[in-house]
Amino acid sequence: MTTKFTRRQFIELSSKMTVLMGLSTNAIPDIAQALENLATGRVKVLWLQAQSCSGCSISLLDSEHPNPAELLTQYMSLLFHHTISAASGDRCMDIVEKTSKAGGHILVVEGSIPAGMPEACMMGHKPMTELVSEAAKTASHVIAIGTCAAFGGIPGAEGNPTGAISVATFLKQQKISTTVINIPGCPTHPDWFVGSLTYLAKYGLPPLDKHSRPLMFFKRTIHENCPRFYDYERENFAKSFSEEGCLFKIGCLGVITYADCTIRDRNGGTNNCIKAGAPCVGCSSEIFALKKSFLFYRKNESKYLGE
Amino acid sequence: MSKKISIDPFTRIEGHLAVSLEVEGNRVKDAKCSGEMFRGFEQILKGRSPLDAQQITQRICGVCPVSQGIASVLAQEQAYGIQPTENGKLIRDIMLASNYIQSHVTHFYHLSALDFVDITGILNYSGKDKFLQGIKAWVQQEINSNSLFPAAPFLPRYEGRYIQDPEVNITALRNYFTALDIRALAHQLIAIFAGKMPHMATVVPGGLTEKVTNKKIAQCRSKLDQLKTFLQKEYTGDVLAVAGEFPELLSTGRGCNNYLTFDVFNDSINGGAPLFAEGVLIDGESQKLDLNLITEEVKYSKYTSDSGFSKTTPEPNKHGAYSWIKAPRYNGHPMEVGPLARIMVGYTNGNKQVQAVTDTFLNKTGLDLHNLDSCLGRHVARILELQILVEHCERWIDMLDPRQPSAIDFHITSSAEGIGLTEAPRGALGHWMEIRNSKISTYECIVPTTWNCSPKDDNGVPGPVEQSLIGTSVADAKNPLEAARIVRAFDPCLACAVH
Repeated sequence: MTTKFTRRQFIELSSKMTVLMGLSTNAIPDIAQALENLATGRVKVLWLQAQSCSGCSISLLDSEHPNPAELLTQYMSLLFHHTISAASGDRCMDIVEKTSKAGGHILVVEGSIPAGMPEACMMGHKPMTELVSEAAKTASHVIAIGTCAAFGGIPGAEGNPTGAISVATFLKQQKISTTVINIPGCPTHPDWFVGSLTYLAKYGLPPLDKHSRPLMFFKRTIHENCPRFYDYERENFAKSFSEEGCLFKIGCLGVITYADCTIRDRNGGTNNCIKAGAPCVGCSSEIFALKKSFLFYRKNESKYLGE
Repeated sequence: MSKKISIDPFTRIEGHLAVSLEVEGNRVKDAKCSGEMFRGFEQILKGRSPLDAQQITQRICGVCPVSQGIASVLAQEQAYGIQPTENGKLIRDIMLASNYIQSHVTHFYHLSALDFVDITGILNYSGKDKFLQGIKAWVQQEINSNSLFPAAPFLPRYEGRYIQDPEVNITALRNYFTALDIRALAHQLIAIFAGKMPHMATVVPGGLTEKVTNKKIAQCRSKLDQLKTFLQKEYTGDVLAVAGEFPELLSTGRGCNNYLTFDVFNDSINGGAPLFAEGVLIDGESQKLDLNLITEEVKYSKYTSDSGFSKTTPEPNKHGAYSWIKAPRYNGHPMEVGPLARIMVGYTNGNKQVQAVTDTFLNKTGLDLHNLDSCLGRHVARILELQILVEHCERWIDMLDPRQPSAIDFHITSSAEGIGLTEAPRGALGHWMEIRNSKISTYECIVPTTWNCSPKDDNGVPGPVEQSLIGTSVADAKNPLEAARIVRAFDPCLACAVH
C-alpha cells in the first residue's frame, strides 16, 4: 500500500469492487472516483455499538477487497469504533460529541436500541439511545449494520426484557428524519457494507427495497440462487441433518430470505451455509428470530409439512 | 484524600465495560468493573425450541461464537442422550482451536497492542518496506491535516511510556496489520466446516451438517500451516519483545489466585482424555471440581432476583448495584478463568504438555511460575497454550475420515436436562438447559467474563479483575494507561459476560 493510491491502483481496486457490487463494468471509473473520495477523507464514519455482539465488526475485519488495513487508512476516516479505537474514556466521548455537533458524518449503528430500558446500554454515563439520537440528527445517512440494528434481531425477539427495537423504528419514534440504510445479516457480509458505503460516497443513496436494504445485494431470495435448486425441482428433500437434497423440509428459510450469500460466499469465498448442508436460518430476514413459535429447524416437526 | 478515575467507555475489548478506580496518592484503593449492556438472552430462550439454542447462544458473542455453539450442542446431546460422530468431535476441536488462534491474535494485536506500540514512531521510519512507507505517509498527512481527529482510530490515546526501541516498535506495528490478515485466515479455516464465521451455520446436536472431503482436509492443512508460521515467528516474538520493554508488567496485575477450568479438546495423543482438563485451584491448592458449588450472587448486580442460581429479573435502578454482570462464585470464592487458568491448573495437576511448554519458557526467560500471574503473564499464557493447540490441531486434521459421516440423527426429548461445559478462548463456559414439553423451560449461561469481570459478591469481595487493579499504581490520573493494560490482559468480553 502507498500513501495515496495512483489512478491505476484505484481502477484495479474498483474493478474488484464492481464485481463485488454486481455492477456492470461501465461503472468502473465512477467507482474509482468514489474510492478516491473515500481515500481523501471525505467520508467520516462514526460507529456506535448498541445491543450488539460485535459480530458485524468482526465480520468487517474479515473483508478481503479492500482488506481492513486499506479500509482503515485509505477508505474512511473511522473517527470512533468501540473495538478498534486507541482512545478510551473521556476522549471517546469527546470524539462522539464533537462529531455529532459538527455533522456531515455517516453514522453506523451496530446492535438494537433498548427503547424500553435505556439503562440497558450505556456509554460514558449516557444512554446509547441519547448518543444515537444526537449523532443521527446531524448525520448525512445512518447505516444500520446487522439484523439487530436493521430489524431488532435476537435482542428484539419475543419475550425480551429491554424493549429492543431497530434503529429505523427508534429514529422514527424520535422524529429524526435522517435516511436509514439497513444492511442486515447475522453477521452482515463485509462486501455488503463496503459496497454500500462506496456507492453512498459516489452516487448518494443506493436503490433500496421496501425494507431499506440495498437492492444490489438483497434483490433475490437465497432460494433463487440456491446450489440445491436442482434437488428442490426434483423434490429430493433431506430428512435429517447432513443428508443430500433440498433443505426445505428441515427448516430452510431460503425461500423467504433476501440475500446473495449463496453466490457471494462467506469468509473470502470459503463456503456458505447451504453449501455446507446447513438450512438457511434467515439471518438477514426482517423476521429473523423474532417469534418463539417460528422454529429455526423443523426437526421432529414433519407433521407441519404434510407428511 | 482519594480521587476517582473513570475509564468509560473502556474500549478495545468486546462490548460495553466501564472501569472506575478510587485512587489515594498513586495507589488504587478500590476498583469497580461495570458491565453496561444487557439483552436478556435467558428470557429470550425460554419457551423456544431446544434446537434454536445453538443458533441463538452463538449470537451472545461475535468473537467467540464457536464456544457458545459447542456448549449448547453439548448440553443438548446430554439431554437427548446421544454422542456426536468421531468426525463431528474432531471438527469441533479444529474449529475451536482455530477460534482460539483468531481470538488470541485479535486480542494481542488489535485490542492490546496499541497500549504498547507507539503509532507515531512510524514518523521516524526510514526503511524500505513499501507498506510501512505508506503508513508513514498516511500518519504524516493526517497529522498535518486540519481534521478534528487526525489519524483516527489510532489517535488520540492515553499518553505515557510506549515501546522505546524503534525496531521492536516497527516490527510490532507491521504485525498489527499483518495480523489482520492472519485473524481473517483463522476464520476461513473455521468456515471450511462451519459454513461461515462469525456464527457457525453447521453445528448441530450429533455432529455437523458439513461433510468431510479430501479437499477440505487439504484446505485445513494449508491454512493451519500459514497460521503456525505467524504464531511461531511473529506472535511469540512480539509478546517477548513487549516483556523486554515492560518487565514491570510481569509483577503487576496479580489476580485472585483462584483458578477454574472445564474439560476441553480431545488429547490426540492420549485418545479420549481432555487436552486441558477440568480443575479448581484455591490459593494454589488443587481441588476436585464440584459443579454444585457454583453460585451466582447479585447484591451489586442490577437484578432483583435472589442470589443462587437460575433466575434473572432485571432492575436497572437497583440501589447499590453497579453492573449488569452477576458475580459467580465457587464455594464462595471469586475465580479467574482463561488461558492463565488453563496453564496454572494444567501445570499444578501434572499435565505433561502444559508443564513442558511452561518450563521451557520459564527456563529461557529466567522467570518463575508466579510471574505468570501478572498483566504480561496473561499474554504469555496465550502463546504457551497455542503452541500445544497447533500441534494437536494438525493431528485432528489428519484423523478426519471422508468415508465416515459427520452427523447422526436424533430425536428431541420432550422432558430432559443437559449441561454443556467447555472452555472458550477466554475461559470456562457453561450452559445449563432444561426442556419441558419439548420447549426450553430454563437456560442459564455462565460465561468466562462473568467470572473475571464480576462485581463484588454478597460478602463484598471484589471480582478477579477488580482485585488485579487494587494496590497497583496509576502515575497520571488523566492517562491511566497502567490500569488499562491490566484490564485488557484479561481479554474481557462484555457481550458474553452479561448476555
